[in-house]
Amino acid sequence: MTELRELARRLLSEGTVNAVLGWEEGPRGARPAFVTDAAGADRLIFDPRCVHNLAAYLSPRRPHLKQLGKVAIVLKPCDAKAVAGLIRETQVPRENVVLIGVRCGGVLADPESTEPLSEATVADRCRGCPDREAKLADHLVGTAGPGFPGPSHRAQKVEELAALPADQRWAFWQAEFEKCVRCHACRQVCPMCFCERCLADKTMPRWIESSPHNRGNFAWHVARAMHLAGRCVDCGECERVCPEGLPLGLLTRKVAQVVADRYDFRPTDDPAVPAPVGTYRMDDPQEFIL
Amino acid sequence: MSTTTFIRNEDLKGLVADLKAAGVGVAGPARTTDGAVDYRSIDRFEDVVLDAQPRTSLKQFFLPPTEPLFKYRREGSDVAILEMPAVQPPRVIVGARPCDAAAVEILDRVMNWDYKDEPWFARREATTIVAFACPGGDRSCFCTTVGLAPDSTRGSDLLLAPAGDGYVVEVVTPKGQKLLDAFPKRFGAGPGVDATKAYRDKARASVDGHVPGSPEVIRQWVQTHFEDPFWSEIALRCHGCGGCAAVCPTCHCFDIVDEPETLTEGTRRRNWDTCQTALFTVHASGHNPRHDQCGRCRQRVNHKFAIYPSRFNEVLCTGCGRCARVCPAGQDVTEILTRIVAMATGQGGAA
Repeated sequence: MTELRELARRLLSEGTVNAVLGWEEGPRGARPAFVTDAAGADRLIFDPRCVHNLAAYLSPRRPHLKQLGKVAIVLKPCDAKAVAGLIRETQVPRENVVLIGVRCGGVLADPESTEPLSEATVADRCRGCPDREAKLADHLVGTAGPGFPGPSHRAQKVEELAALPADQRWAFWQAEFEKCVRCHACRQVCPMCFCERCLADKTMPRWIESSPHNRGNFAWHVARAMHLAGRCVDCGECERVCPEGLPLGLLTRKVAQVVADRYDFRPTDDPAVPAPVGTYRMDDPQEFIL
Repeated sequence: MSTTTFIRNEDLKGLVADLKAAGVGVAGPARTTDGAVDYRSIDRFEDVVLDAQPRTSLKQFFLPPTEPLFKYRREGSDVAILEMPAVQPPRVIVGARPCDAAAVEILDRVMNWDYKDEPWFARREATTIVAFACPGGDRSCFCTTVGLAPDSTRGSDLLLAPAGDGYVVEVVTPKGQKLLDAFPKRFGAGPGVDATKAYRDKARASVDGHVPGSPEVIRQWVQTHFEDPFWSEIALRCHGCGGCAAVCPTCHCFDIVDEPETLTEGTRRRNWDTCQTALFTVHASGHNPRHDQCGRCRQRVNHKFAIYPSRFNEVLCTGCGRCARVCPAGQDVTEILTRIVAMATGQGGAA
């Protein structure tokens, strides 16, 4: 933590950046912090409660963050994949941001947790994660724990659902979508949902009904998952933020598996790896084209 | 009304069974499929969970996330309107939190302001709210700051507080009395309100002082600091996700949409909306008077603690703390209000 604070203090006092985005101690556990002066660097923390994907704050859809000027951002290896995604999709110029990687051996499921990090308390998405540090980072700080073995419960649940007959799978999602109130919190926290005007907000014509009935909810969640194909970094923020507890990660995870199987693409923090959606290869599977 | 009676635990189970047998819908706080506690339809009192605050509020029972207002059908150059039923089926909510019950009454003001909101009041009339005195809250609870308490009777028809082998029942409204009269065998003699004092005091102590100061101090500061840099500062972490509004017992803004279902038929619906999104205020011209999150964060505080109080003499907040619990970015209403009070009383407010 000293290393992180020292670095943040230096970047701020030397004028390399105007603000450092990291984590601080909030009233209810760890939370995002926006440090704008060197003296504030001591507010920064990093521990297993720092679950948030701060890359979302780099999205151009947040004009109120432009007031900060040039920023440095603290990243776990998984968060770096989202930054790489934003660079790959030309939303963030690489030279406009300083990346501080923190080495990571897994985080807790809940930023409010007071439990030590263990097999029982680790965030499900961290199970089987092989990444300990972000290769994309300009600076690397801290030490990483050994990580946790996979597979994640989510991956297992995806397998279970895939094995069900279609009508039972349909019934499962009907029951889940029933709970959705269409607040679109899943979209708002997603670092990769950066559209200035979302498809779901368009009314001429209305592509996706805004009403939280099963018809509208199904259209929304399927469209969201499809738009994240080959783009979702599996940070789990959509599922964490959902005020109704929908297991949204199951959808994005499933789509990610299909993209991995068919297009050999996995989320990476290397922005030079082309996005599958924007790439055509002669050997792309195309048997679905009639 | 301030009569009291008593209901034994066994009779509470029996009362829910009686209500179900009489064809009355019963809802209460119970486990959801993902293990959380939320208000939902229940078949038996044994499923009610009283020691955790439900994830969302009672709002959904009076202002559903989506509701059809009417159906329409084009007939040549005319449009036929098919009205929705004006009367709602009877329902009893057993195990409401006093803060959630109070919210419904606070919302009655705006729902009967420039016009009477018929769907809202149809559900209000059909619903009896049986609240249970709250066992106490966590650090984000501050009901006593906004004039409520863990054992407020406001908005409830009956208020139950535990004593001995059951609950002391305070009859708050004639509607509550009607429920008693319908099932007289379930109620009887028992300990009086005094027997619940220790329980109530403990609950109150757990929420007192989390936001010092009064709603009036907050209102005055908010009304006179529209352009304060404070709003830009607190907005930094806000994703504009509106999770706060979804779980809020008093956030009541809605959107109205017409959804075509065939070439000639469709439904007009009203759906929950939130001031935390850009779309909420964008004009047809494309101009957006609340062009970024700073104005939207301010609006949420402003509406709750200045605009609504100025118009209805009511704070549009029950201190339930759900917005702080749900926020993915750690925005905390108790912190915001505490800082406003500090700035208003000249004690600074810097982070």
